Amino acid sequence: MIIVKNLRKRFKDFEAVKGISFEAKEGEVLGLLGENGAGKTTTLRILATMLKPTDGDAQINGYDLLKEPEKVRAEIGILFGGEVGIYDRLTARENIRYFAELNNMKKSDIEKRIDELSNMLDMNEYIDKRVAKFSRGMKQKVSIARAIVHDPKVMLFDEPTSGLDVTATRVVHDFIQTCRAEGKVIIFSSHTMSEVEKLCDRVVIINKGEIVANGTIPELEKHFNNDNLEEVFMRLVGGAQ
Amino acid sequence: MNMKHVLIVFKKELIDMFRDKKTIISSILIPILIFPIMYGFMGFSQKRITKDVEEKGIAVAIESENKDASIVKFLESKEDLKITDVTDPDEAVKKGTVQAIIFIDKDFDEILKTNKPVPITIQYDDTNQTSMMAAQTIRQYISEFSSSVVTQRLTAKGIDTSILIPIDIQEKRTAPKGDDGIGMMIFAMIMPLMLAIYSATSVLPAATDNGAGEKERGTLEPLLTTQANRLSLLMGKYLAITVAGVIGTLASMIGLFIAQKSNPELLGKGMAIPITSILIIALASICLSLIFAAIELAISVYARSFKEAQTYLSPVTILVMIPAFAVYMMDPKNIADVYFHIPLVNIICIIKELIVGIYNPLHIAISFMWAIVYIAISIFFAKFMFDRESVIFRV
Repeated sequence: MIIVKNLRKRFKDFEAVKGISFEAKEGEVLGLLGENGAGKTTTLRILATMLKPTDGDAQINGYDLLKEPEKVRAEIGILFGGEVGIYDRLTARENIRYFAELNNMKKSDIEKRIDELSNMLDMNEYIDKRVAKFSRGMKQKVSIARAIVHDPKVMLFDEPTSGLDVTATRVVHDFIQTCRAEGKVIIFSSHTMSEVEKLCDRVVIINKGEIVANGTIPELEKHFNNDNLEEVFMRLVGGAQ
Repeated sequence: MNMKHVLIVFKKELIDMFRDKKTIISSILIPILIFPIMYGFMGFSQKRITKDVEEKGIAVAIESENKDASIVKFLESKEDLKITDVTDPDEAVKKGTVQAIIFIDKDFDEILKTNKPVPITIQYDDTNQTSMMAAQTIRQYISEFSSSVVTQRLTAKGIDTSILIPIDIQEKRTAPKGDDGIGMMIFAMIMPLMLAIYSATSVLPAATDNGAGEKERGTLEPLLTTQANRLSLLMGKYLAITVAGVIGTLASMIGLFIAQKSNPELLGKGMAIPITSILIIALASICLSLIFAAIELAISVYARSFKEAQTYLSPVTILVMIPAFAVYMMDPKNIADVYFHIPLVNIICIIKELIVGIYNPLHIAISFMWAIVYIAISIFFAKFMFDRESVIFRV
């Protein structure tokens, strides 16, 4: 369970997140919907303890964001969009193992877990090859395996499909569905309406650092009297401009 | 800080580094080969000149209207002087058909008999090494001739020639037995300079890769979401970079050693530095690597990309060259105490002293104390940068 209370983040002369509050539950995909620069990535970075909030607080599975950052990080796995950042000169296994070790996993558990992930993501053919020459989809799988090697209870997805082709997007979508089925808490940020409609149980719409709407897709459509999420979004975001 | 995490990062970075052919080439192969190749070429051209002179002799023209003068006969009797006739002396020296021209007065013997000094002019090209060697040889022969004239004159007056040598200088050299002083001097100049420059440059590729490189590849953010805290990540990287620096410096020293063994005429025959001094020198250069690794990692973390990091980091190497060259010519036996309080200069001076066999515990203690302070400051600087959100997420 994630509880976010009045979170704020101020960079030098710019407030990226202006006091947002929301909750995310087990087995639920919460969509963070917003345009580029709305504050989605900043919010996720704060939840991952990479950035310190200027004000406000959040609890992740009962751990306080500010007081127990390392325990919070043990609970979360995070998958980033854009270029897949993995170490080219290491093999897929070494990449995953590195993150497993840094997440305090036991040696004996690590190899078992990697084999398990390799089977699950269908990576057996190239698990011991260096990743430099991997295709985008193969790299995507390595980064997924890396994100969940320590079996986190919470998954954060920061525009995970941006720049991916159809096949690789499919891999990520399937993975999100798997996480939901396993009962993880999932926050998924995106600016693609169709993706959000397809995957999310609930949507939080952010505009310029503020939450402008929060609810299930049917609730939002009913509330704004419009059966098209995109038009709801445009009205909210456009109206705020 | 979690030592387990530090070691995990350290190990991973070393593996990553040494799987990169670029690193192997730039931090091991090139440093090992550069000195032997450089000095090999220098030695080769030096040897060629000497060999030329030995085989072909020195082409010399004698300009005199009196070819029967005693000095002309004397010079002609020397086997290594090849007396050649030229029409245009200036042109001949310029072109190198002759290495030098000797102008001798036609009344040489007459003036000599009057006991007055007889002028002889040697013309040579002082931009040309062979020509300068020729002039040197001619000077020697002429002074040999002079001596014989002096002896004749003194004998004629019944005076013993020993009157000319009121003092008989006996030289006793302080360089330890089996060593040669010139080699030591050259080493005392070159070694500290090389150690300082290599300590700064050897950590460069690794520092660039570990900070800006990690940012550019997008691996830094995932790394920050692991349970390892930032200080552990930083220290693991820092140690790996330092090791890369030490290996690079070691490689360059091996290169210098090979160069010296294969070109003793240029770099001296070498010397026996006691093992304790070698250990202290090694420790001093590890200190340099530790300092530069932290500074360069901090700068590299600040940079947005590989390219930017390289732009910011190249002045650092120039910064090292200033103190290194400032004390390059300094005599290691007379270094004032104040130098041991100046950053970098002190470590370079310690190395200089140890090479020539000076073991000054006070100097060593002061320099190492300062080194610890610099290392602490530079690590603190790196940690400060690594903790700043505006640096880490500066994209």
